[in-house]
Amino acid sequence: MEKVATETMKKLLPALLTLALVLLLATSVMSAPRLTIPEASFNFGYCPQNSKITHDFWLMSTGDDSLKILKVLPG
Amino acid sequence: MLAVGDSTTLEIIFSTKRYRGDSRKRPKIQTNEGPPDKFVTIIANIVQRPDSTYPIIINPYKIDMSQFTDKVIKKAKFKITNVSDQKLKLTMVALPEGLMKIKLPKSIDPGKTVEAEVKLHKDILGESFHKSFTFEMDDADKSRFTVPIKRTVKNMTKKAGKKAGKLTGK
Repeated sequence: MEKVATETMKKLLPALLTLALVLLLATSVMSAPRLTIPEASFNFGYCPQNSKITHDFWLMSTGDDSLKILKVLPG
Repeated sequence: MLAVGDSTTLEIIFSTKRYRGDSRKRPKIQTNEGPPDKFVTIIANIVQRPDSTYPIIINPYKIDMSQFTDKVIKKAKFKITNVSDQKLKLTMVALPEGLMKIKLPKSIDPGKTVEAEVKLHKDILGESFHKSFTFEMDDADKSRFTVPIKRTVKNMTKKAGKKAGKLTGK
């Protein structure tokens, strides 16, 4: 009886491992961070030379995991 | 780090230097979301002669609210002249939230000059900064103008700082 159970476990093991892997992947995909920028473009219109103009863009964390802003590189 | 559902602002500063005409910049934002990277786009029409623009002329076209003595500078006035042949309505498009108030006229008749005002919030009177505000006209081109505001604060005594409201928390 014990031998049969062990044999069954051996047969089921790859299936169980696959299932666990799929669940792990599904969880990691589900809990992805996401950055949403509601207004990603801004037009300053006319502005003078030799001056500094500024604009604040809203950044929103809309994923299922915390969002880290790693770097902002000038365009 | 932004928790799920939280938001923040990202300030983009564009130094117009000696650029001319239409300029477009696309700063890249890298996050732990991974590729593709996200971008924000800024567009500006940089003018060499800001004293001869159309349909309005702003004077001064950039505002310096720097303060080098104990005299607190919290207001600045500027003039807007409508050089077109139509009445123009003005709408504020963007200004630094909570830092200043801008008194703009609702409209300007053709050929007329009106006064506008920048008033700084008391909490930032002890700070140096570069900011700007943008407003739009209701002409056919929906012309937009951005006015830079610069403030450098030096040699403020504690007394003047208290009078100003706040002196960088010191």
